[in-house]
Amino acid sequence: MSGHRDERARRSGSTPSGNPPTGRRIRLQLGPRLRLRLRNRTPWFSYAIVITGAALTVIPFLDMLMTSFKGPGEYGKLPYRFLPEAFSLTNYRAAIRQLDLPLLFRNSTLATVLITGSTLLTSSLAGYALAKLRFPGRELVFRLVLATMMFPPFLFFIPHFLILVHWPAAGGNDLLGRGGAGLTVSLAALVMPFLVSSFGIFLMRQFMVSIPDEMLEAARIDGAGEFTVWWRIVLPQTKPVAVTLALLTFVSSWNEYIWALLVSTANPRLMTLPVGIQLLQSHLDPDRMVPVMMAGLVLSVLPVLLLFLLLQKHYVRGVMLSGLK
Amino acid sequence: MAPAVGDPALPSAPPPAQRPALRRTGRPTSVPRLSPGVPRASRAIRRRQTVIAYLFLAPTLLFFLVFLVLPLLFAALLALSRWTGFDLSDIRPVGMANFADLFAHGSTFLTPILTNTLLYAFGTVVLALCGALVIAHCVNRLRFRGFWRTLYFLPLVTTVVAVGNVWKYMYEPGGLINGVLNGLGLPSLAFLQDPDTALPSVIVVQAWASTGSAILILTAGLTAIPGVYYEAAELDGAGDRTIFWRITLPLLRPSLLFVCLTQFIAGLQSFALINVMTGDGGPGDATNVAALEMYQQAFRYGDWGIAGAAAFVLFLVIAVITALQLWLFRRKDEEA
Repeated sequence: MSGHRDERARRSGSTPSGNPPTGRRIRLQLGPRLRLRLRNRTPWFSYAIVITGAALTVIPFLDMLMTSFKGPGEYGKLPYRFLPEAFSLTNYRAAIRQLDLPLLFRNSTLATVLITGSTLLTSSLAGYALAKLRFPGRELVFRLVLATMMFPPFLFFIPHFLILVHWPAAGGNDLLGRGGAGLTVSLAALVMPFLVSSFGIFLMRQFMVSIPDEMLEAARIDGAGEFTVWWRIVLPQTKPVAVTLALLTFVSSWNEYIWALLVSTANPRLMTLPVGIQLLQSHLDPDRMVPVMMAGLVLSVLPVLLLFLLLQKHYVRGVMLSGLK
Repeated sequence: MAPAVGDPALPSAPPPAQRPALRRTGRPTSVPRLSPGVPRASRAIRRRQTVIAYLFLAPTLLFFLVFLVLPLLFAALLALSRWTGFDLSDIRPVGMANFADLFAHGSTFLTPILTNTLLYAFGTVVLALCGALVIAHCVNRLRFRGFWRTLYFLPLVTTVVAVGNVWKYMYEPGGLINGVLNGLGLPSLAFLQDPDTALPSVIVVQAWASTGSAILILTAGLTAIPGVYYEAAELDGAGDRTIFWRITLPLLRPSLLFVCLTQFIAGLQSFALINVMTGDGGPGDATNVAALEMYQQAFRYGDWGIAGAAAFVLFLVIAVITALQLWLFRRKDEEA
């Protein structure tokens, strides 16, 4: 079956180059047999390496899980033991109590959902304009979007923080941004610097370019305005890329640490899961604190890990697409 | 806002009989140009589309103005000023003094901080790339590639707080790694507490966490190499090793270079992992990197000017290295 396809492909490919027909025959006969030989040889060596690497990747996760079940006084005892003596859930109870997990989960979830929603909305709006509307300045705006991806995020931590603290007429500030806490009084501080994603716009734009113009034209002739065209015709078709973008954004904002740390030093009510768990380090004695911390980490890692495993195909495609920019 | 863009300010259309097809912008339009009434109508349509397009773009452009242009200007201002961080009217311009301070004699910025940054990025890339290359090469010969790739990808969807802390406690005297060392009859090591081993220990973790994406890109690159090359090489009697060095590696170069570039840049600017694992970049400055130094100068010591200057120096280093790498790749591609 596949041999037939090979033959056809090869014949059409090699006719212009003028290979002698006999040589072609020999290669044809050898090809499948070689491939068979390769397939029959079990790649033991490859298995050994891949499994070793996989073990190295997974063991830290397992260590986290096992430590989270270890009883008081068991962690840090020598000699080291991988498995806990008894699987106790005391650390999970302690984590929920000491960490104020409800608050942390609420902040993390709200921020993540708002950021993901806003990224999807703004990316698809801007992507549509850049892909399907003709207007002066389109090239310029597109170049600007590409250029913004070049700036490393660390450049913005300080100015973003200062801008939010000195936001005019918010959180007790006067119109010049003095006197109060600015936007750090509300969840907006966690969310605002991430509302728009240049990568998201780029992704949407690239995808929307391939939607046939005739489809949009037909809708316009039927009297649809641009917003209707965007909402009814374009958005339903962008579902695959939207899932990818949503997943990438969700994972990165759920895991975000540095910015959340900055914001929650200004206002502890805005603490997210990673920050709250990290701050456990400064209390308690370490041997008791570590298993509690691991329990908190297991709880905070679990949702995003499950989401990733469920939708990993979309995620992988997103990473590949980001590799192509 | 809308009428300012484009060319809609013309009072009247040009005499339609003579030159109906020429647009002021010189660009051909998709609208039919033959009948005399159309140019005016099409201009109206275009004006409307311009307004609508900028409405679609409005949230993005507004965001760029507030969270991109303004911050960049502010960062530049800070780098050239001295400020203790409370009242905006207290900002004192000092010219290049902050940069001079960074590179003054006895400053820790050049050594060890900037050196650490380069070592960190370089070590991460070398480890992750070599590991990923070997694993990707092997994964591509097995079944269930998707399963393996997913497995290797787990560290990338895990928050840096989890990665950093799990490894930090694995490095502890009572942790997994020293447990294994002791089990093999070796003495314990003080990985993160010893200034000599602290930086390599952190590099290993960063490499561990970034191998997954490298594997992903490299397996895609490997799959894209046409099987014909391998068949031809086998026919010519080439061994596995020759095939790897002479066929796989050269044909994989674009993917390798891409991984190299992105991970090196990521290594230069990342500091969250170090912040989680060693806090302030200790012991001493053994694991301090430029981005972490910037962060601490600003939010710990309140020296915003120095922090701003450090940020710009690091940005410059990244830009130069990116340009250098791109130039190298391009030259090699031309040679090939």
